Amino acid sequence: MPDPRPDSRSRRALRLGVCGPVGTGKTSLIALLCRELGPHLSLAVITNDIYTDEDARMLRGAGVLAPERIRGVETGACPHTAIRDDITANLLAVEDLEADFDPVDLVLVESGGDNLTATFSPALVDVQIFVLDVAGGGDVVRKGGPGISRADLLVVNKTDLAPYVRVDADLMVREGEEARGGRPVLGLSRTDPEAVERLLAWVEDRLSAFRAGTLVPEDPGPMAAHHHANLHAHDHHHDHERARRP
Amino acid sequence: MLLADARLPTSGHTQSGGLEPALLGGLDPADLDGYCRTRLETVTLTEAATAVVCRSRAVSRRPTDDVESAWAARTASPALREASRSLGRAYRRVALRLWSTAPALDELVATAAPSRPRVLGLVAAATGLWAEAVARLVAYDDLQSVLAASLKLLPGDPVDATARLLTLAPQIDLLVHRVALLNSPDEIPAWSAPQIEAWAEAHATADRRLFRA
Repeated sequence: MPDPRPDSRSRRALRLGVCGPVGTGKTSLIALLCRELGPHLSLAVITNDIYTDEDARMLRGAGVLAPERIRGVETGACPHTAIRDDITANLLAVEDLEADFDPVDLVLVESGGDNLTATFSPALVDVQIFVLDVAGGGDVVRKGGPGISRADLLVVNKTDLAPYVRVDADLMVREGEEARGGRPVLGLSRTDPEAVERLLAWVEDRLSAFRAGTLVPEDPGPMAAHHHANLHAHDHHHDHERARRP
Repeated sequence: MLLADARLPTSGHTQSGGLEPALLGGLDPADLDGYCRTRLETVTLTEAATAVVCRSRAVSRRPTDDVESAWAARTASPALREASRSLGRAYRRVALRLWSTAPALDELVATAAPSRPRVLGLVAAATGLWAEAVARLVAYDDLQSVLAASLKLLPGDPVDATARLLTLAPQIDLLVHRVALLNSPDEIPAWSAPQIEAWAEAHATADRRLFRA
């Protein structure tokens, strides 16, 4: 059967997805990975913004990676669709980057900030990080969702802010661990070198597993229905009142 | 029906059929209907004709490279060609997975970035779609791209967008009638739309976009 994908599994890059609600620090986390891993790995980044290239511009401005290795993909105001239901635009962008900068070791795909229920299709990324932050509230972990429960790594970001928002970061991490049945949780702050080291070690470990052929992409699960009770983190525009009318 | 379904994973949600560039370029939202009609008379007519001629060639096992060239010559804007080829790659990916053994798609294996109408023409040949059907598909899909995007870009009731599509049905019929019997690349209409092309070019370098094109 002719395979439209020109690359083979053995030589293409590891594809790492970073998703989570708006403002939790996905772009900063990617900038951090670029800064730390860039010197010894060939990296490329794809961003999925509401407006095309806000995050791409921020990353380029951060000077952590050659600007041409950072590309924004338009999502037609549907960031969840672009990483799950129709991943075509992202897949083509990944393939283009892999071809243009061959060999690429690691492609980082940042989702557009969406709600708690959006996760990557395992057909787009090999491994995914779900990012929350302490400023979003200590109870977000308990509310759950496929990304929180089953992403390959849950990051509780901005732990340095915890005292200022009166959240117990350690408790958030412990509750995350309980909710995830042994899957890893990492409390992270850019200002915490030890946490940064653990993040880098996790990525290196996944890269090694990928290269050894032992990494099997796991699907955190389908998107659940939107929760509208007291949690309304998604930032795309749709009219709930009209949607409820018969 | 499968090919005309927005749920087909071909990145259709990233496209606005040129509507976002048009609105950013100053199109009066009240002229949405006129915009749709203009597309059907110009860029969409060329795309549909290209698909029909590619189908005709592929049915008789002849290559379609020169049909693609004829389409490119009639699509002056590099941004519009790029948008069509980006969608073409998406359709190609789906087509090679779904109809991997179809002889009509052999050409696709060696063509990494075919235009959208070329892929659709080849798929039509591979799946037994008639010329009328593939022409209608191109026109319908183009209008739906515009109207679905209008729900994101302009205030409005989604049912109004559907109603607008329905009122354009006679124009779609007319387009189908005009291109269904074409066989040769020379016959592909070349009614360019310079304003749509200029908007597309401006959009390619705009930095606050929701849609690719």
